Amino acid sequence: MSGYGQEFTKGLWKENPVFRMVLGLCPLLAVTSTAINGIAMGLASTFVLVCSNTVVSSLRSIIPDKVRIPSFIIVIASFVTIVDLTMNAWAHQVHKTLGLFIPLIVVNCLILGRSEAFASRNPVLRSVIDGFGMGVGFTVALFLLGTVREIIGSGTFFGYPILGTAYTDVLVMILPPGAFLAMGVMLGAFNSLDRT
Amino acid sequence: MTSTWRLVAVLAGICAVAGFALAGVYEVTKEPIAYQKKLEVIRSLDAVLPGLSTDPDSFFLDMNREDGTPVRVFRSPGEGGATVAGAAFQVVAPDGYSGNIYIMMGVFPDGKLGGIEILSHAETPGLGSLIEKEEWKGIFRGRSLDNTNFKVKKDGGDIDQLTGATISPRAISGAVEKGLIWFRDNRDEVLDAASGAQPATTSGVTS
Repeated sequence: MSGYGQEFTKGLWKENPVFRMVLGLCPLLAVTSTAINGIAMGLASTFVLVCSNTVVSSLRSIIPDKVRIPSFIIVIASFVTIVDLTMNAWAHQVHKTLGLFIPLIVVNCLILGRSEAFASRNPVLRSVIDGFGMGVGFTVALFLLGTVREIIGSGTFFGYPILGTAYTDVLVMILPPGAFLAMGVMLGAFNSLDRT
Repeated sequence: MTSTWRLVAVLAGICAVAGFALAGVYEVTKEPIAYQKKLEVIRSLDAVLPGLSTDPDSFFLDMNREDGTPVRVFRSPGEGGATVAGAAFQVVAPDGYSGNIYIMMGVFPDGKLGGIEILSHAETPGLGSLIEKEEWKGIFRGRSLDNTNFKVKKDGGDIDQLTGATISPRAISGAVEKGLIWFRDNRDEVLDAASGAQPATTSGVTS
């Protein structure tokens, strides 16, 4: 019964989807212009990840190998649509900001990757924990990136100005190139931390 | 052969379950989503016609723009509901930096702007997107065709452009000016309280 804790923590650090496996970069780079956007995107992805891992894992003996990819995609797409509709109904403002990127969670290779590499080969409980750990790791990464970009790019944190009026916004940080710059520096930092 | 049928059956089964689940979620979220959309309209109406209460479901008037496209004019009833105290309608700025900018604008009977509200846009975050800021939108309040040259200052007009972003403010000023001209040309029809949908609360109105 050991190892459940490890199943969770590996998503945070050792197999962090963003900093270690460099997966799911498209939404990561696109929506992290503010910290709150990063968190919202991360939570939506976590929900989809946990749900799809649960379903895929419980159906793993029923789904024939030949149609497993289309089956996984249907499962994932259904949960993404549920998230999309739910956010539209009860988190309208966030839904408006994230816009197109919610439906695009379907093609986030992180989610299909976990279904294929983990949930289709492991029991349900383990898959749920794996999905949750990966989701939290993804959310933390999005939050960190969003925080860095928001502070440098607009001088605010969660919309509150923290750097004072004398600070000149480095606009490039909230534009697409800034995502690559911040991501590159953070990847480097993670790697050097890991080596020591 | 049996294995092929099994593939078909499993896929079909998953699709069916997914379909039913989604239909259920759609049914549950349909009302709240419609409600949120309506709230959004009400919020924008309150912002562009300050001090008036405008109900999007009543007292509106369906008209056509000068190019023939339909436009719904939301109106606020004046005292007793027999007059129009303000009108709000949507205009589109097609010449923004990135795609159409949809704007709600409110006009008082004297042709002065109550305000504008950006409904949706895809301008550059941090540059063109500053059009959403209250400080910028607010400069339109009280302006009319008589007291304002609806061009950005760079083009010799009265509207402040934004640092690093002239295109979005220019597009919006142009669209708002066109809206005001349309209002001036159709003023009598818009202000005719007897036409179109009537106010929801008819109490106090002599018929």
